[in-house]
Amino acid sequence: MDEREHMMARDLLGPYVLGALDPEEELVVEDHLQRCAACRTEERELRQAHEHLSELMGVRETPPPEIKGSVMSGLPRRRTLREMRRAPIFAAAAALITLSLVVIFSSGLLGRDAMASATLESTPLAPEAGGELRVRADDPNARATLEVWNMPNCKKDEYYELWFGEEGGRVSAGTFKVDERGRGTLQMSVPEEAGNYGQVGITLEEFPEEPRMDSAKPVLTGELEGS
Amino acid sequence: MIARMRGTEDEVLARRVASGDDRALSDLYDRYSGLVYGAGVRYLGDRGAAEDLVQDVFLSVWRGAGGFDPGKARFATWIFRITRNRATDLIRRRAARVKTVNEDVSKPYLEPGEEDSTGGIARSFDVAAALSRLSPVHREILVLAYMEGLTQREISTRTDTPLGTVKSRTTAALRSLRANILSEEESSSG
Repeated sequence: MDEREHMMARDLLGPYVLGALDPEEELVVEDHLQRCAACRTEERELRQAHEHLSELMGVRETPPPEIKGSVMSGLPRRRTLREMRRAPIFAAAAALITLSLVVIFSSGLLGRDAMASATLESTPLAPEAGGELRVRADDPNARATLEVWNMPNCKKDEYYELWFGEEGGRVSAGTFKVDERGRGTLQMSVPEEAGNYGQVGITLEEFPEEPRMDSAKPVLTGELEGS
Repeated sequence: MIARMRGTEDEVLARRVASGDDRALSDLYDRYSGLVYGAGVRYLGDRGAAEDLVQDVFLSVWRGAGGFDPGKARFATWIFRITRNRATDLIRRRAARVKTVNEDVSKPYLEPGEEDSTGGIARSFDVAAALSRLSPVHREILVLAYMEGLTQREISTRTDTPLGTVKSRTTAALRSLRANILSEEESSSG
């Protein structure tokens, strides 16, 4: 078998399985396939890829273009909490809370260089865990930095969610997972008024369930104080 | 669409979504909305319901990206599971409504819990992921051939590439796609 002929036929196998060759080229490839086992194997493999791709094209349909606009405009925004829905504050969790407050001010809670922080205390769900939250002014909103440690590792569809809360409601500030040592960090923008929320907490959530107040699993909780 | 499909792996985009990057979600929408919508038409038998499914799925991706672990599953597998679960939710909601208002609802083409006999929908998500991981040159040639239905000669004209090069690149692209599909299947089953 001529090596040049072999390489030429091999290079044409793709358009061959697509049915995209000229009749003369197709005859050349078919003649070669009768004499070359390696190319017959590759032809079968490429045909399978072709069939999978054709199947994808058969399943795929383009949704109406306005759907994308609806999706993108309807996203609950993480960078500002103003639009996020509220749910009843985790009153049940409050009964388990051990409050520890560490609050540092320079020129008021959200003055230019002001910072507020809370030390998060564990609950029975994570007796060895702990965390620190710091909130500082970051025009036009505020910036929160969270560090946690000794957190239980999440199961397959589980994740942690940070909440700012007050009497009558709570808002989410973001989701995260921890590393194998139970450590995690999260930085996010929060509304300037975040410092006015009374409580902060971290709950354990399970995808794809929607987080619900009445089934909240608080892992860490704490209280923010503002001036 | 071809330009936007360049480069970034799904798992990297998912990480960006987790940090609140809505442009990353937009890229993932461009890659997967066609599949989610198509799967929805088949699962739900209704284009309006399929549109609802698309919105549900991508909202779920936005909310749950922080919980997605690329070490445990590929993004394509994850979004397929979301699609299937959300379709099941929609069917149950519709069934509950039928019981109360006595509406006549068309039977879905497929029950989401029972994959089509050839596993085509699940496999299509893997193939979409495999396609997204091709080099831009290879991806472009397959997109032009399969999504736009261009002949080899038309691709040559469109891309200003010699016809012989288009043919050999088509072969190379299919070869790479096959390798990527095998890799996706191994990840899905692992």
